[in-house]
Order: sequence, then C-alpha cells, then structure tokens
Amino acid sequence: MQIEVQHSPAYAIAIAHLDAGESVIAEGGAMVSKDSHISVTTSAGREGQGALSGLMKGIKRMVAGESFFQNSYVAEGAAGHVTFAPTLQGDVAVHELRQGTMFIQSTSFLCSAPEIEIDAKWGGARSFFGGEGLIMIKASGSGPVAFNSFGGIKEIDVDGSFIVDTGHIVAFEDSLEFKVTSFGRGSRLNFKSLLLGGEGLVCRFEGHGRLWLQTRNTQGFGKLLGRQLPPRES
Amino acid sequence: MKQEIKSKPDFAFLSLHLNNGEQVIAESGSMVGMTTELTMETNMKGGLKGALKRALGGESLFMNTYTATADNQRIDLAPATPGDVEHLALDGNSVLVQSGSYMSSSPGIEVDSKWAGARGFFGGEGLFMLRCSGQGDLWISSYGAIHAIDVQGTYVVDTGHIVAFDDSLSYELKSIGGLKSLLFSKEGLVCEFSGQGRLWIQTRCSGSLVGFLHPFRSIKPQKHAN
Repeated sequence: MQIEVQHSPAYAIAIAHLDAGESVIAEGGAMVSKDSHISVTTSAGREGQGALSGLMKGIKRMVAGESFFQNSYVAEGAAGHVTFAPTLQGDVAVHELRQGTMFIQSTSFLCSAPEIEIDAKWGGARSFFGGEGLIMIKASGSGPVAFNSFGGIKEIDVDGSFIVDTGHIVAFEDSLEFKVTSFGRGSRLNFKSLLLGGEGLVCRFEGHGRLWLQTRNTQGFGKLLGRQLPPRES
Repeated sequence: MKQEIKSKPDFAFLSLHLNNGEQVIAESGSMVGMTTELTMETNMKGGLKGALKRALGGESLFMNTYTATADNQRIDLAPATPGDVEHLALDGNSVLVQSGSYMSSSPGIEVDSKWAGARGFFGGEGLFMLRCSGQGDLWISSYGAIHAIDVQGTYVVDTGHIVAFDDSLSYELKSIGGLKSLLFSKEGLVCEFSGQGRLWIQTRCSGSLVGFLHPFRSIKPQKHAN
C-alpha cells in the first residue's frame, strides 16, 4: 500500500493506492472517492480482535474526539485507489513507521496501513487542563500513517528540548517525552502569563525525535467564527 | 477573447480580455473588477422556468452578461469559495456542473437547469446540476483544489465533492456498504459513475466546514414554560 499526497499545502488529499487484497483504515467521514470495487466495512475494532476489546477501543476513540467507528477499505480482487480529505484547509503528511510508535493529535489522524495498531491515549489528567483537545492517538507497528494539519505542516527534529503551543501539535515520535506546562519559568505556574498572556498551556518536549506542528490553530479559528454565528438551538 | 487564470490553485480567479462586441456570461456576484467600456445586462438565463429551478437548487435566479463596447477591455471574475478555477473547452459535447461550481461561460454555451430532476434532490447535499453544452468556453470553480479523474468502468464519489462530469458518464446515487456502514460510517450517500469520461472533484466539502463550526456557536437560552 502506498499513500500519495496531492494538492499540497492548502487543500491536500491523501490517495491510498492498494494492490489486490490490500486494505487501508480511515477515519469515518474522510472518504472523497474510490474505485467501485473497493469495499467498505465499518467496525469499532479491528478484525481478529474480540468484540469487547473492539468496543473498548471504539469508546476510547470517541472520548478522544474521533469517530467511534473506523472504516476499512479493501481492494477486492483487483488494484485500486481511495482518496481521503481532511475537514479543514491544510496539508497532509505521511510517516512510515518501522516497528515504531508515534502520537497523533486526535483530530489530525487521516488514514493508515491495516498493520498499524490505532489506540486512543490518555494524555493524563494534565492534558485536560489544556482545553485544546490535547488527546492523542497512539499509532504503532510498521507501515505508512497519514495525518493532516490545519494550515501548513512544519517538521522539527528535536534534539534537546522544545516548547510548542498545545493547539499547534500535530504529531510526534514516541522517543520524545512530553509534559504540558504553563508558560511560566521553571516548574512554578506563572498565573499572570497563563491568564493574561494569551498563550494558554504549552507542551514541553524533551529528547531526540521528530515533531510535526501546524501553522494554524483549529480552536482559535472555530471560536473566531463561532461567536459571529447566530446561536444554535441545542 | 483571451483568458488568464491567476493565483491557482488556492485562490484562483479569472481574467478575461474582450474586444469590441465580445461577450461573457458570469454567475451573479462573481465580478471583482472591470474596465469601464463594458456593459452589463441581467437576465434570467434559460427563461423564467429555468431560473426558478436554479433558485430551487440554491443558485442565483439571474446571470449577468457583459459586453465590450470597445477593444482591449478586461473583466476579473472570482468564485465565492477559496479554491481553484478550471477552464473547459466544449466542442459540441456537454458537461454536467454542480450548480455552485458554475462560474462563467462564453455565449456559445447553453446552460440548462432542466436536467436534474427528482433524483438530484435525493442527495440532500445540493446535488443539483446544470447541463452546459454547445461550443465555447466554460469555467468552473471548486472549494479546495480541483482533482480530475478519467473514469473507465465505475467510480464512486461522495456527493459533497462532485464539481462536474462529462455527459457521457451515467450516474446513480447509492449508500456505501451495508446498513451498518450507512448508519455508522459517516460517509452518507455517494454517487456511482459508470462509463467512460472525465470527472472533476473538489478536495474539500463546504458541509464539513459547517459541521466543524457548528459546535462553536453559542446555545440559545432555553425559555421556561412557567
């Protein structure tokens, strides 16, 4: 299976090219188009997993802001392709995992090879403080994983430490340790910066590994437009 | 008439250069700027019946015809959405265009809204098509990039991503997969094309953006009964 990215950076799509019998897993609602002979099955877990384990994974994904169900696209009998698009304007990046693990911001996951195990990961209680959806999807195994950004994607090879606004994290390799903190100095919370600086919480990364950032923040965009729209009924 | 499409693909717009007597028809509201020796006439394209049907499809009732009254005139046209503009040259063939993706055409192109019929309304996602046929130029626009696919056999597209397709293709609205997929896959209805011809799709869907923004709206205060 190969994942090709076209129309970068503003309106990128991922095209999964499948050989006969191959499949790709994708977020519900992401499909744009496909060859007719590619079948779609919807399940909470992966095939071969127990029903209970699949149910738990579905619930965890739902809490993480992802769809409870994931779709599996299978090229029945002949090669073919499926195209997937993110919801908002922005880019798509593909990272090839080799017996590795990476974390992806829950709303940035687009599609992956079926050999990749997808699980929602609790960022721990601290990440809920962020209030900016810092709940990560844990992807592990071998094969390509495609993820999307709001705005452009910037790759950073961290060697030592680096600080990122929680709303701009797209993905990072698990070789990086991360800690959600306020913008203050040292380990003490600096309430003035937190409340008045407009920077909210940041994520501090330590170690060696790759980090992907997005150049816009979905929450900022949503709040800007949401308050200008008429109130909804419920 | 000379054409240039600039700022492709993210914020594309169309510049047309017209000499005395040359004409172009444009979707109402698409004119950005123009030189002064052009006249504009508004009419209900396709007659009253056609215009009313277009209005049902969420389209404007009117289209504007611009006529150059001197040489070396220019008009700039832009679509409503951020995205691409594509030029199609028609030579007696016809193309079906998603009503919101029609942008402009030369006078030799007939724009007909009769075709859609009841089937188009099934989509619930504004799958209302305009049939453009004849000889001349047609310009279509998209939300996101325009991605062309040469269909040979059968091909499936989410209805919210269709921009235009050759009239040589036949289509059918379908649900994807089985009942469980229909209810839980979030993929809704799709359009299955068959035959041989070109299909243009857009890489973003305005309905998805609206779905993203909805939770950010404030909630109306509840009125208490007593």
